[in-house]
Amino acid sequence: MKGSTVNLDLRSVSVDTETEVILKDISFKFEPGKIYVLIGRTTSGKTSLMRTIAGLIEPTDGEIHLGEERLDEVPIWDRGIAMVYQQFINYPHRTVLNNVEFPLLRAGVSKADAKAQALAMLEKVGLSEFKDRKPSQLSGGQQQRVAIARALVRNTRVILLDEPLMNLDYKLREQLREEFRTLFKGTADSVTIYATTEPSEALFLGDELLVMHEGRVIQHGKPDFVFENPSSIDVAQIVNDPPMTILDAEIKDGKVNIGNLITFPTPAHLKSEKDGKYKIGTRASEVILGGSESNSEEGTVSLSEVSGSETLLYVKLNVGEVVLQLEGIHDYQIGQAVTISLAPNRIFLFNMDGTLCAAPGN
Amino acid sequence: MTSKFYKRLFLLPGLLLLIAIIIFPLLFTIRVSMANWNVSHSGLDWAGGANWARMFHDVNFWSSLFRLFYFSFITTTLQYILGFTAAMYAWKGFASRRFFRVLWLVPLMTTPSVMAIVWRSIFREDIGAANGLLSKIGIDPIAWSTQIFPATVTITIAEVWQWTPFMFLILLAGLLSLPKEQFLSAEIDGATPWRTFWSITFPLMAPISIGAIIIRLIEASKIFDSIFNLTSAGPGNSTETPAYYLYTRGLREFQISYGATMGLMYLILAILTLTILGQIFARVSKPRGI
Amino acid sequence: MKKILKYSFIFIWSTFVLVPLSWALVTSFKPPAAVNNGATFIPWLQFQPTLDGWKDITGISGYANLFPPLINSATVTFFSTLISLTFGCMAAYGLSRFSYGWKNYKNPDIIFFFISQRIMPPAVLAVPFFILLKTLHLLDTKLGLVLVLTSGLMPIVVWLLVDFFNQLPKEIDEMAMLEGCNPFEAFVRTILPLARPGLTVAGMFAIIFGWNDLFFALVLTFTNVQTLPVAVVALNGTVTPFWTLSASAIFSILPLVGLAFVVERFLSKGGFAGAVR
Repeated sequence: MKGSTVNLDLRSVSVDTETEVILKDISFKFEPGKIYVLIGRTTSGKTSLMRTIAGLIEPTDGEIHLGEERLDEVPIWDRGIAMVYQQFINYPHRTVLNNVEFPLLRAGVSKADAKAQALAMLEKVGLSEFKDRKPSQLSGGQQQRVAIARALVRNTRVILLDEPLMNLDYKLREQLREEFRTLFKGTADSVTIYATTEPSEALFLGDELLVMHEGRVIQHGKPDFVFENPSSIDVAQIVNDPPMTILDAEIKDGKVNIGNLITFPTPAHLKSEKDGKYKIGTRASEVILGGSESNSEEGTVSLSEVSGSETLLYVKLNVGEVVLQLEGIHDYQIGQAVTISLAPNRIFLFNMDGTLCAAPGN
Repeated sequence: MTSKFYKRLFLLPGLLLLIAIIIFPLLFTIRVSMANWNVSHSGLDWAGGANWARMFHDVNFWSSLFRLFYFSFITTTLQYILGFTAAMYAWKGFASRRFFRVLWLVPLMTTPSVMAIVWRSIFREDIGAANGLLSKIGIDPIAWSTQIFPATVTITIAEVWQWTPFMFLILLAGLLSLPKEQFLSAEIDGATPWRTFWSITFPLMAPISIGAIIIRLIEASKIFDSIFNLTSAGPGNSTETPAYYLYTRGLREFQISYGATMGLMYLILAILTLTILGQIFARVSKPRGI
Repeated sequence: MKKILKYSFIFIWSTFVLVPLSWALVTSFKPPAAVNNGATFIPWLQFQPTLDGWKDITGISGYANLFPPLINSATVTFFSTLISLTFGCMAAYGLSRFSYGWKNYKNPDIIFFFISQRIMPPAVLAVPFFILLKTLHLLDTKLGLVLVLTSGLMPIVVWLLVDFFNQLPKEIDEMAMLEGCNPFEAFVRTILPLARPGLTVAGMFAIIFGWNDLFFALVLTFTNVQTLPVAVVALNGTVTPFWTLSASAIFSILPLVGLAFVVERFLSKGGFAGAVR
């Protein structure tokens, strides 16, 4: 069965319960050797999609093919799919080594081979010295490494990773993210699907990005392309953290006018757009603090929070609330007056129905 | 689908075995309650609702039901309070608690019918330990089995002794599995033990408590061994409960049909009571903000 | 003040627990005079202890021998516990992991159905069970008693274990299935080892309720399969003296008291609910 052309092919997969739609008409062809990142908010259907592929949820409609095989008709235990959960799930009553051996033994690998392969995999994830411990005697990061070792050791055709870094602290996340790239690049025969809510992980790990929203895939493509050219406001919000600020605007007489308070001459990349009402978007990292020209407005800080090595500032303006990301750690009081200005050449322009009209490009 | 097969594989053997064992007795009981099977006539003839009509006019049956409210509710309440107190002390706090945990579990392991014999020997008016001890401190012997109040007390004591460890065990197991974080934060906030108990421990224990109380109520309602051995429902029928009354009419006087009728009525009432109680408990124990 | 309250509770409660046990123990060594002439409490001081009561129940004096009933009780308890634990834990696992339904009846109703088996007073069920076992030629056999006891023990097992399985993360059995176990293998290989504390508690309750049953054993068995409680109650029905009765009471209690130690060990090792966090 193994070969480089075993594609995972979803054909109009839908899942719904009596009361709500979980997945709606998803069609996509996944190729082996690539890392596909599913990005979306918490309830966007990422986990449901993975569970459907794994067989833990039965699709109400559609077909799933893996190479020649009709995967959705195969019971979970014969699908040969590995999955890593957001929680650190290992068998608590088995040692680390036995945990990693288990899937191999189940797959019919001989005892000696299973042990050798498991040890090699533990070496890869840097856990050799902990092989005789129980998972509960390890730190969260180490437990998740065991889970990943268990998923990778079998060399399955499909590997699903459901927000594996979610429950780890910031530093560990960056470290593991780094390791993932090398770990998963070595799996040329496998389709790797990785779900996350973090744009930075998606940009760092993904060969291909699928943006999910309300049970649908609303855009897919190379991560940096999607990042630069979000097809809609929803995508723009999802692939930016903090989410993109969206404001109502009007283009008229060669000027962009935001609520009659902020105005600036239409920048070059928007010159070809017709006059009319639009929505504009701006990334938090591209909003400028200060300025005194017509493209600025004074507002008050409604919230200030430190995230890693950056400070996020939520500023209430008359035109709406703007999120602003500053390098370094700064101290702002709630209610403090600040002036905000926009960078005209970094503006995203959306039609009133939310679809992308023009992006600033690189 | 194969997963459907496994889903059934888990539940059905147990469920079917139970149904297989219980279905005949249940159907038989329903049928026989409409017959006239007694000591002089055995067989499934047709008596219609005669037994049911008789039951509705049987003062003894209804008064035994009211008595049951006393026995099951009072003893269960006592067992719950004492069991919870003991569990709280055995949970943490004093050095040799492991010894006391064992000691306080022992009554649960003893056979109720055998212990009832021991209790009877304790409450014998002439040569029993109870009156023997009382006379040592100058109290006149009490007529334990011939007066209503002492007779009730002896049964209550025996029941509390026997089954408080049941509550103790389940509540202690529950306490030992509680998450520690909330207690730590309460300690940091400087809450008194009393407040910690009422605002954290007690609410967290609500689901376990309800389960334990329901099971105890079911078991307590069948109270038989202690009454049979201690008072034989006496004096008169002042300590007679439905389980005992059913036994007297059904098995001792061999009024099989009438016993079955009362048994069914009892089953219906018990299921009703438990359903209502379950609803009340579910409402009371809705998670509240802590 | 709080300390006084605490230690007086511990003292009074422990005394209360010990009173009937020590009374029975002391009485079992009494000679006739120490019983019949009013209550006595302290051996050697108030009376000279004898082994007559104990000789009466162990077959030495030829009065009664409680060892055969002991073996009957152990056999019947063992098998009814085994059966109810096997089927009960499977049913409980199913009820905790899948949703069943038949018309409007869902999982909670099925659990209630199990528990409701314990509502009916034995006195009502005795006659139908008698007729049932007679028809099946199982009257006065161990198998017959085991079957009847199982119907009473399985509800307890199911009730305890559903809660217990609910506490074990579902992801563990999903994981096992993804790694090639069918649901039954996943249950046996990953859930059962984790559920050992829960199984112990459930098994312990099954043993207690099975061992201590009097009523069904009294009605459904006669001479071949006399269980210990039945034998003791039978002694009570005749003119057996108090010292012999007390010895028989202690004799029938002892095997299970050992269980209290086992249970406590599990408690202290944190082996009950919440074993997995």
